[in-house]
Amino acid sequence: MSRTFPDVGSDWQRACGQPRPQGWLDPLVAALLAVGTTAILLAGVSELGYARDEGFYFRAAGSYQRWFELLLNDSQRALETVDAYWRVNHEHPALVKSLFALSHWLGWERFGLFSTEGTSFRFPAMALSGIGVGLVYLWGARARGRLVGLVAAVFLAAIPRFFFHAHLACFDAPVVTMWTLCAYCYWRSLGRGGWLWPLAVGVSFGLVLNTKHNSWFLPIVFTLHALLALVPGMVRGMTRRQVVRRAVASLLCMAFIGPALLYATWPWLWHDPVVRFTAYAKFHLHHVYYNMEFLGRNYWQPPMPRTYAFLMTAATVPVVTLLCFATGLVTALRRDLALPYAWVRGRIAGHHAAGEPESLPDPATSLLWLLALGVQYGAWLSNTTPIFGGTKHWMTAYPFLTLFAGLGVQGALVAARQHWAHGALRPLLRGRGLELAVVAMVLSAPVIQAGHVHPWGLSSYNALVGGAAGGANLGLNRGFWGYTTGSVTGYLNEAAPKGARIYVHDTARQSWTMLQRDGRLRQDLRAVGTVAGADFGLYHHEKHMSGQEFQNWVAFGISVPDHIAGLDGVPVIWVYRRPGLATPEGR
Amino acid sequence: MSARRRALAWLARYWMAALPLVGVVELLADQYFATRAPSFRQYARLAEPVAGLRQAGDLVVVAPRWAEPLARSALGDEVMPLSDIARPDLSGYGTAVEVSVLGQRDPELTGWRELRRETRGGFVIRKLENPAPEPTVLDFVEALSPARAEVWMPGPTRCPWRANAPVLAGGLGGHPTFPRQRFQCRGSSFFNVGVTVIADQDFRARRCLWAHPPRRGELVIRYRDVALGDAIVGHGGLYWIVERERRGAPIELRIRVNGDEVGRTTHRDGDGWSAFEMQLGDHARTTGASVEFAVSSSDHRHRHFCFEARTR
Repeated sequence: MSRTFPDVGSDWQRACGQPRPQGWLDPLVAALLAVGTTAILLAGVSELGYARDEGFYFRAAGSYQRWFELLLNDSQRALETVDAYWRVNHEHPALVKSLFALSHWLGWERFGLFSTEGTSFRFPAMALSGIGVGLVYLWGARARGRLVGLVAAVFLAAIPRFFFHAHLACFDAPVVTMWTLCAYCYWRSLGRGGWLWPLAVGVSFGLVLNTKHNSWFLPIVFTLHALLALVPGMVRGMTRRQVVRRAVASLLCMAFIGPALLYATWPWLWHDPVVRFTAYAKFHLHHVYYNMEFLGRNYWQPPMPRTYAFLMTAATVPVVTLLCFATGLVTALRRDLALPYAWVRGRIAGHHAAGEPESLPDPATSLLWLLALGVQYGAWLSNTTPIFGGTKHWMTAYPFLTLFAGLGVQGALVAARQHWAHGALRPLLRGRGLELAVVAMVLSAPVIQAGHVHPWGLSSYNALVGGAAGGANLGLNRGFWGYTTGSVTGYLNEAAPKGARIYVHDTARQSWTMLQRDGRLRQDLRAVGTVAGADFGLYHHEKHMSGQEFQNWVAFGISVPDHIAGLDGVPVIWVYRRPGLATPEGR
Repeated sequence: MSARRRALAWLARYWMAALPLVGVVELLADQYFATRAPSFRQYARLAEPVAGLRQAGDLVVVAPRWAEPLARSALGDEVMPLSDIARPDLSGYGTAVEVSVLGQRDPELTGWRELRRETRGGFVIRKLENPAPEPTVLDFVEALSPARAEVWMPGPTRCPWRANAPVLAGGLGGHPTFPRQRFQCRGSSFFNVGVTVIADQDFRARRCLWAHPPRRGELVIRYRDVALGDAIVGHGGLYWIVERERRGAPIELRIRVNGDEVGRTTHRDGDGWSAFEMQLGDHARTTGASVEFAVSSSDHRHRHFCFEARTR
């Protein structure tokens, strides 16, 4: 065992509880985290405008809902008219949009469970995000102890970009949960025999396939893991034969159940599945390149910067989370993977290690987390991988990043106990005091910052780059999708005369309409697609969009915004007002 | 254990123990960075010191550039007119007032001499002098009006001036705005000459004359009674989103004075907002001249050409 880091195996047991959950407590904590996260998301959702893509998914979900209703009333006709309803937005899989549809249908139209219609569409994604947070706790607790699980779960929820996306009726946060769920099932399948967990792997793979195309990375991760798990010492207490059998069982279930479930739950594939799936795959494999600003430059075609994912992670994930991750990763590499690595090196050098090493606590777990992380970031080493989605496209790696961060905090706790809990500090750090202090210290900045930057999640940058203003100085993107219209509704409601025409710029019409249906925007305000003839012009700042601002200048003959909104002194959205426009009474 | 390994072990142990402190430091750093840049309301404090330093004709610039909308909102169009914020370059300005936040400086003003400086809250306001200004005799963009100019399409067909044409703007992904006052030619609405603003290769604003070449022949913009300097200088380009595809035909801009061609420039996609300069030779420093700008292209499709020109 490495001597660079403290030998903390027994301390972990004391400090953090048993690595494996006992009875109902951990599932209960996971459920509480899921519910709590969902509740927090619900509490802040009305501050967030509707993103461009949400508008498209509202429309798709509306179409799918009508089909579900038809299925209930006239199943024969529903089956005959599948394409008419499921053609809408068929470039993306259907599962999460189907959940949006069901939530809207049942939660809004039937039972009136939500205060606004938009929230009914968003609720499934928020709930899935909450479940993801709970799942990270469960995995961390089961694999490395409750403290690891708890800290990892909160770290994940408090990554400002994840927190932002977790509110939206989109797929980016749901796929984080689905991806993690499939990986968790695979991990459980290695730990015990039988078919329950391999079947769970197959089912969860089918669900993630029908969530987003990030799912295509999972077989790569699991295959690599299964091969590397054959290295002696990688999986404790199992023969190689057992490892192979369990891994192959899971991979077979993925291969057969996954596509079958995708087919069964995505009606668009029911007619001509091969052609339609191929078209879907091609759409994403050859996706059009949108624009994205990075370090002052607008990227719109390859070569894309290979450093993008790494620098954006460094600039947007809280610094303490990153440092805890780095610490946890180094700890895991040195402690968990040192002996298997020595064995591999010995084999290459031509001599055998003495026996199969027994390492702590379970190297295969760290390896799986590492592969899940590495394979997803690996995609951004190619300079043809589009970067237009910002951080959301590799968010599926964040549960594993935060699990390692949890390990780092665990190590810090043990070290703190060794170095601080003596002398004068001892009375203060008795019992659970030390754990509480350490957890509070590492979690306070991410949690407070995630709350502070809301609803400007896409404009937020961490202290490494100097916050939002530092990000703007460096030429990092301040937002996309036109969602910040939600932050100027108060101004528009107050400043616009009756029937005013608003050029909505990057906000999709359906997103604008949803703001009105929610009662956040006056019903009489009319969205228009050009600033010509408009009374107000919105401008959502993106570097490549600047021409949109200039259209306002020439149309209105002014260059002075009437209203500006943004984060920490950095403008993100501003509004132009036609000179001479009547002022509403009372303003 | 070697001394090196012992040192590493010591470092690692204390790093682990210090890790929670990083969280506290980050919390403080987040608070610091959240309030480091002036708030939106604080920009209202700029009006007085800028007014104290600025004289008529002075350019006002803001560093960093992302803060400019806030300064525009606080200072207004009179202090920061469209012709200044969408300027072709800095060469015509003798003096400038730079509003700086967060210690940022405008790199374009490097080499300008500082005359005065004031600090107000989070702002540093400096009055700067251009070491080599090149005064403009006539700005052809400013001079576009039926009193000074006429526009011709092949035929020849004269394009009438419209003082109250419908404003046209392309919206998301569309063309720059065609202003209310413009010379509107026959055919497509794209065949017009008016003052608009395009985004250049750095997505900066450039105020210019929209001059879409016709299907065949030349679009001619003719100015009457022009007092000339030594040269005609200017820039040309296309809205960058169009130009960056690099699929369009070259665009030719010829300049004629009293019928004599004094120079021509060819704009190729990818050139961006590019400068030209044509010496006027015998026509230099004459008055009452007729100046023609003739725009043409072998393939007029998607040739959203826009140029500015001055004589100096």
